[in-house]
Order: sequence, then C-alpha cells, then structure tokens
Amino acid sequence: MSATPTVGSFEGLGDLRLVVRQTWYEQLSFWLNPIGAAFTVGFSVIFLLLLGASAGNSRISYYGNIKLIQYYVPGFVAYGVMAACFNILAITLVNRREMGLLKRLRLCPLPTWALLTAVLLSSMIIAAVEVVILLLVGRVGFGVHLPDNMGAFILAVVVGMVSFSALGLAMSTLVPNQDAAGPIVSIVFFVLLFLSGLWFPLRPGSGLAQSSSYFPVHHFIVAVFAPFDTQKGASPWAWHDLLVVAIWGVAGAVVAVRRWSWTPRRP
Amino acid sequence: MPAITVENLQKSYGDKVAVADVSFDVQRGEVFALLGPNGAGKTTTIEILEGFRRRSSGTVETLGVDPADTNTQRWLRTRIGVVLQELAVEPFYSVRQVLTRNAGYYPSPRSVDEVISLVGLDEKADARVKTLSGGQQRRLDVGLGIVGNPELLFLDEPTTGLDPSGRRDSWELIRRLAADGTTVLLTTHYMDEVEALADRVAVLSNARIVATGTPSSLGGRDTGVVTIRFSLPEGIALGDLPVPVHTLHEGRVEIRTEDELKVLYALSGWALERGLRLPGLSVARVTLEDVYLALTREDEK
Repeated sequence: MSATPTVGSFEGLGDLRLVVRQTWYEQLSFWLNPIGAAFTVGFSVIFLLLLGASAGNSRISYYGNIKLIQYYVPGFVAYGVMAACFNILAITLVNRREMGLLKRLRLCPLPTWALLTAVLLSSMIIAAVEVVILLLVGRVGFGVHLPDNMGAFILAVVVGMVSFSALGLAMSTLVPNQDAAGPIVSIVFFVLLFLSGLWFPLRPGSGLAQSSSYFPVHHFIVAVFAPFDTQKGASPWAWHDLLVVAIWGVAGAVVAVRRWSWTPRRP
Repeated sequence: MPAITVENLQKSYGDKVAVADVSFDVQRGEVFALLGPNGAGKTTTIEILEGFRRRSSGTVETLGVDPADTNTQRWLRTRIGVVLQELAVEPFYSVRQVLTRNAGYYPSPRSVDEVISLVGLDEKADARVKTLSGGQQRRLDVGLGIVGNPELLFLDEPTTGLDPSGRRDSWELIRRLAADGTTVLLTTHYMDEVEALADRVAVLSNARIVATGTPSSLGGRDTGVVTIRFSLPEGIALGDLPVPVHTLHEGRVEIRTEDELKVLYALSGWALERGLRLPGLSVARVTLEDVYLALTREDEK
C-alpha cells in the first residue's frame, strides 16, 4: 500500500483551490450552454425593457406616487436573483441528478461540501451578473436612480441569494424527474412571482398582499426595493422582510438535507 | 493483501434481499468478473465496494479499508476509478475540458492526452460531449474512470450498448490496463466478455454466488462430458456403428462421453476403413453459456 489512509474532510488551502477550480468549471458549463445562459440573463432584461417601455412612466398612487419603472428595476433585480438561485439551480440539479452526473461526482475524490459550495457560488455569480446588468439597463435605459444605500442593497441581495439557493436545492429534491423539472419549477416560480407583486406593486392591505406575505418572494422584492430610497423617510433596511426570506431559506436547507439524493429518482 | 475482500456480504431494502451472503476476493492485478442476470445483485455489490452504498451486514475491504468508513473514503476515492452502468457525461464541455476537470480531482492523474488516445478519442478531443455518438460518449465515460490513474477500476457492464468493434476496443483497453497492473472488477452478462478478459469469475444468481473459478474451469467445464454429433451415412444402420449412440432425429445421432479421444479414434478409423463420411461431425465441450444457464436457471423461475 502506497500511503496511510488519511482523514477525508477539509484538508486546508488545497481544498480552497479545489472549490475555486470547481466553481470555474461550474461557470464554464453554464455559459457554454447558450440556451440556459440566454434564458436566465436575457429573460429578465427583456422583461424589464418591455415593461419599462410600455408602462414605466405610469405612477403608483398607493406607493408614494413613484414611477412604475422605479419599482420594476429592484423588482427585476429580485427576479434575477431568484431565477439564477432558485429556478436555474433547481432545474440544473434535477438534470444532473437524473443524468447520473451527481452520482458520478460523488464517486470522485471531490468532497461533497466542495462540490456544493462551488455549485452555490456559481449560481450566486450568475445572479450577480444579472443584478449588475439590470442596474445598468435601469440606469442607462430609464434613468432610474441606483440604490442610495448600497450596503442595504448588497445585504438584501446576498440574503436573497443564499435563501433562494437553499430553496432551489430543496425544490430540486421535490421534482421527480428530468421531464418534469422545467414545468414544475417554472410554474411554482411564476405563480409566486405573480402573487408577490413583481408585475405590479401590491396595494397594501389587499387580499393578494395578505396572501403573499406568507411567501418569501414579496418580502424579497420589498427588501431589494427599500434601499433605493424612493419614499422619503422610509428605512433602507427592511429587517422584517429579510428575516422572512431567511426563515424560508433555513426551511429550504432543512428540506434539502433531508431529501437529498445522489441517484436518479427514476426507477 | 487482496485488492478486495468480501465476506458474508448482505444487503436488503426492507423485505427485499438484494445481496444474500456473498463472499469472494480479488487479488491485485487480477481481472475479476461478476457474471449474472439482471437483478442478481451485481450492481449492488459493486456499489457497496465503491463506498456508494452501505451494506446491511458482512465484512468488506477495498484496498485494505472499509469503503463505508467516512474517514478513509476520500483517500479511497483517489485510488479507485468507477465507470457506472448508465452513461453519465456532462453535455456542455469538450472532451478535453471534462477530462481536465476530473484529472484535477486526483493527486497523481494520468495525462489528459494519454487518456484521450487510450480511449481513442483523439479526433474528438475538442468536440462538445453532446455532439459525440453514444459509443464515443461511452469511451469518454471509461476515460473519466481511468483519468485518476486508479489502482482498482470498477466497470459496471462496460460494453453494454457498444457495437462489436467498440467492444473489441474496450476489451483491448481493459487488457492494457490490466497488463499495467490495474486491478479490474467488472460486471457483465456477456459470456464472451468473461472468456476474453477475466482471470476469475463469480456467478451471481438470486443474490448469491453459485460458482467461482476461472472461466475455463467454471462448473467443471475443463473436465466433464463432451458431446459428439453427426448424421448417419447412407445405408448404415445404428447397429453397424462401432460405438453406442443415441438418435436425435432424422438420422442425426449423438454420443456423450468423458473419453472423447478414444471414441473419436474408434469412430474415425471405422469410417475411413469403409470409405464413409460422417456428415456434420461436431465435437463440443460444454460452453460457458451452458454452464451459466444451468447455474442461473433457478433465477429464471
């Protein structure tokens, strides 16, 4: 025998390099798939452009009389984060699981934690790219102010990334097979978006606002919106909303850990 | 020390027994085949040895460690290579990219170029994986199994779905790896594959090992009965023959003997003296397939 078996968990700096390397390959795989890349990043930009061009100048009477576009930019920033971290992550993981790719990686010496860290980092990078593009489109295309309080904005985006990634992991464990992945994830995603006031701000106290308050999406949109300081005197730190998003994230992580499978679900 | 030791391995899922009391060992440098029908427990056994599944009971050692021991699992995975039964390749990378990615997981991998030519994908090295044919993807899959330069290679039905020339190429590769000292544990349900590759074979049936040995000695093939068949020459009655035979049909006769040389000598001498031919003469030892089918017949029921 060539060497004494060693303990198999974290092995120092070399392992961090392993994570960086794996993240690079996750990115490569994502951007090499033109449909996936266009769908994620392109979709949110096109939505923003269409909605901004058609209704951006209307004002929202029950929302401080701001222009609708001023609401859409943070709304689509939130959308971009959720699309990358929830939607794409869940669908990608179901595909990889059902194609046997997760099982194959499991049998490589790459530690599980390193793989998962890289997968999560990779969706956060995709989300960050989307956020930057959307802010640029909003600023250049529609003259929307950038967030006044950058710290609050970044915190909201990061909390959203982590929480929706956890929910994406959880979602992937609930989808039985590859064919169902796209439809199931997208339906859940778009229904939640619709209920949560992405297309139009929810009137405070309305039935929709009431029901969407139980789900994380509306709270996330509000938390991203707050740092833009469009309503004088309102706090940029939406602690309550971030807390709800984080609680959903923790719940997602619990489901993901309990239901995680390396092998295809198909018989 | 053997590469693999399995003693009284047992695995069940609830009431369903997938592996019942399986024992065998694989020596270093050996090509060992697990042969058996679908559902006999081959894949479950191999997955327990890889450390992917946990056993219900029994003792198992892979390269000297318990594959279920999480403290040594990562170490073990740097020294084994795995090719799964089902094709599993990332679609978007090029051949070179995915091999380079996986090579980076191992402390002393083979060079990527070496692997590409070992599996015969030189012309496709920069092609996207999803543009490869099924057979080429299978080769890449095998390439991913050997890129870490493993001491021990698990091949779960490595040639299922390959065309005849693809199978020959895979056999050639496995022989080459074995010649370099790689221990190989493969599962298959092809008899010719076992005969072409395996030093030893264990036949699994109904979750149990029903026979172990070299392919040529399995089930007493190397000793045992030989079957001689021919058709009766024109005008010759059964009673004219120098040896007792029994009739199959339409003048076709059969002799079963353990002393085939003596019988053939008497028979051919007799025919030559009379200027007769023995149409359709054949001499057959029991094939591995005969042995296998006899051993696994229980499973069919």
